[in-house]
Amino acid sequence: MDYTLKVSDLKVQFYTRRGIYKALNGVDLSLMQGEIFGVAGESGCGKTTMGLTIIGLLPVNAAVTEGKVIFLDERDLIAPLRKGNTEETDKFNLRQREAVTKQVNKELADVRGSRISMVFQDPMTSLNPVLQVGFQIAETVITHQPRSLAERKLARSRATQDDTQAIVELLKEGADEQAISRYAESKGLRGIETQVLNVWRRNDLGETKKEKIILSLHSEKLGSFERIVLESVEKGKGKPGWMKIPGISRAARGVLLREGYTKAVELLSMLEVPNPDKVVRMYPHELSGGMRQRIVIAIALANNPDLVILDEPTSALDVTVQAQILELTRHLKHRFNTSFIFISHDLSVLSEVCDRIGIMYAGRIVEIAPTDVIFNNPIHPYTQMLMKAIPRIEGYEIQGVGGTVPDMRNVPRGCAFNPRCPDATEECRIKKPEMVEVEEGHFVAC
Amino acid sequence: MLIATRQLVKHFPLKGTGAFGNPLMLKAVDGVNIQVREGEIVGVVGESGSGKTTLGRLVLGLLKPTSGQVFFDIPDDVLQEYDDYVANNDLKKAADIEKEYSIFNKRGNSQKEIRKKTNIVFQDPYSSLDPRLNVLDIITEPITSTGYLRSNEAVKRCFELLDEVGLPRDFAYRYPHELSGGQKQRVALARGIATLPKFLVLDEPTSALDVSVQAQVLALLRRIRTSHNIGMILITHNIAVISYMADQVNVMYAGKIVETGPKKDVILSPIYPYNVALISAVPGKMVKGTKIILKGDTPNLVEPPPGCSFHPRCPVSFNMCGWTAAEVASDLKYLIENKYADMFKAETVVSTNANGNVVIKNANMSQILSLLNLEKEKTRSLAAIDRSSESEEGIELWLWLHRTPEMYQYSDRLVSCFLYAPRDGKSSPQPVNSAD
Repeated sequence: MDYTLKVSDLKVQFYTRRGIYKALNGVDLSLMQGEIFGVAGESGCGKTTMGLTIIGLLPVNAAVTEGKVIFLDERDLIAPLRKGNTEETDKFNLRQREAVTKQVNKELADVRGSRISMVFQDPMTSLNPVLQVGFQIAETVITHQPRSLAERKLARSRATQDDTQAIVELLKEGADEQAISRYAESKGLRGIETQVLNVWRRNDLGETKKEKIILSLHSEKLGSFERIVLESVEKGKGKPGWMKIPGISRAARGVLLREGYTKAVELLSMLEVPNPDKVVRMYPHELSGGMRQRIVIAIALANNPDLVILDEPTSALDVTVQAQILELTRHLKHRFNTSFIFISHDLSVLSEVCDRIGIMYAGRIVEIAPTDVIFNNPIHPYTQMLMKAIPRIEGYEIQGVGGTVPDMRNVPRGCAFNPRCPDATEECRIKKPEMVEVEEGHFVAC
Repeated sequence: MLIATRQLVKHFPLKGTGAFGNPLMLKAVDGVNIQVREGEIVGVVGESGSGKTTLGRLVLGLLKPTSGQVFFDIPDDVLQEYDDYVANNDLKKAADIEKEYSIFNKRGNSQKEIRKKTNIVFQDPYSSLDPRLNVLDIITEPITSTGYLRSNEAVKRCFELLDEVGLPRDFAYRYPHELSGGQKQRVALARGIATLPKFLVLDEPTSALDVSVQAQVLALLRRIRTSHNIGMILITHNIAVISYMADQVNVMYAGKIVETGPKKDVILSPIYPYNVALISAVPGKMVKGTKIILKGDTPNLVEPPPGCSFHPRCPVSFNMCGWTAAEVASDLKYLIENKYADMFKAETVVSTNANGNVVIKNANMSQILSLLNLEKEKTRSLAAIDRSSESEEGIELWLWLHRTPEMYQYSDRLVSCFLYAPRDGKSSPQPVNSAD
């Protein structure tokens, strides 16, 4: 199995006026490709901090003191963040931190939004209220992968009627993704395959209508300016000099933006948004909460990322809408080979979508296991108590976890859970427990 | 009956005006009857915007209703009498009863008396506790201001209350910012029961808390209920919490109660289509059944859908649920332009006419009929089509007349769905033209 992400011994602390908060105290986590990993825990246990650290969005007063986040190609995402910090550093130098933040932003520019993206809890605050949603989706693609947009449009103009006919034949024979993209590659039509497949997979259209649309994806007429812009974007890495001239750059952007809107419509129809071609022209306030969250998910998926971090994506939604979004997440997992980290305080939500679940307590993951194992055979006392605390429809007695969340300024020595743990021994107060594998795939730190 | 509401309605005026210069009204609560007996926990569950919180405030008289009554501490036979008077249109006698028992007709001392006997615990303990008062002041405030006890006795009472909600006595001199969320909610609860009320409204008491703390607070609430025999209305969107706490459950949708009855019926074997979907969508069930994923979102409460307000999302809606010509036309148009594009000519136009019928131009009857046949099960709005005729305008589709469902008795519960309407001539569907 290939790993998408490996987090090892991650430690993060926040410097505040009231002291140093140790938000993460050694998080270990490995994420497989195409898996949904759930992270659960009480508020203040560091779930969100972990998500933010992976994508490098920590505020200036935070410091990574130890640990690595290795992403796909052996690249350590947070190397610059670690610079000059040890656990003993008790003051932070604002100048230095700001410089570090700047450097991180620069280094991660090619990762954020295109290879790793994040969905936050409240869709209203993560969307810009004065821009059309289609624009916001198009913008992410233009920023990170303008080439893919140019390819899409050029492929449509280069394709001949015979090409589309051949593709439809292939689809009818039940050809898979690879076969289609091989065909497109061989004819120099890169970029047409996603468009074709997105139409082909829609459920709301009849067969003939789909065919008609695919057959119409050829010999698109391009204006001469459009053609020049698209071809230079397709070829070059950066923008050529002439495209930076004020008036022209705007017009060139307009060309890409139009294609971006088309892509946005495609994405939204994939996310089961009704009337996507109307929705892309709407503003966030015109949409309901569930719809807004779909838009944010569309933005996150626009560049086919390898990893999507979902931070409480359904907590602000109603139960029936939440069910829609969870269904969608499951569906997306099968569709793309994307890994998801699903952060939620609600274990029952996680049980619906996740392959594996990690329970966090006081900045550490204390238990990791496949979903059904963690529900049927929780080992860590904290997990056991948490399971007993969830009220369920079936209605049985529930029990709270006694005590309160530890003060993260001075986390209890040894196992952080020892003050609340019913079976704590002397050893628990001194020694920090290691992660042990009790059965295959089931790790626990107790 | 501790609390009984009758046809409670609350419309909030909005800016701007609608058609014919009528002011726009947000229909937050639209004709709600609920009842609470002594020592009973009545759950109100629904999605956000369904009017749960407004209902909670109306019941306490914190908001003035647009119309309708809330009776406090009304003997069952008087309530029965009142219902009979209203049913027989004997409004004068009904008004006499309203005068005596309705909380909106109480003034001065008698109003204060009711305030002493009722209280509310709000959702967000962070904003419902005054940050400048310490816990002692917070808890004693309702005790002294309602004249329940004098101030020196109130302090003693405060310590008893702290014991009762499981907080140490020295918390009395702390300020809210020094407490954690769970502790704050305990203080709010202590304030809620300070005057030993007979009735308590709990508005999302645990949704701001972690699961581990939520369990403690819920257990505390149950203990308080049994020790003081307090009747409660528990308002929440969390069905699992309702199922754990409540005796009776009311499910709200778009300002109306759509299903009400004992917990074991309403939660464990729901029948109202919305409720069925709601319960099926609750995550983390032991027995995973099939999930019903509803389409769409909660309706706009300014112009709620006609007929049954759930009909546009309902997976089993049928002819008289409230389909309008515009809805049928837009669904048909979508089908014709997309899924069945190959069957129809590109010039096919779907529109509505002044009779409230759907008109299709440039299509022939057999195509339409076969489309209706194929899509009848999937696209529910097509069920509303009664018959079709051909005229010079094109093909005209006649719709069934829609009606608004009432609350129908079904064994122990009341349901507002035509599927459970008693089978008599009155409630069977009628074609549009036989009505006028």
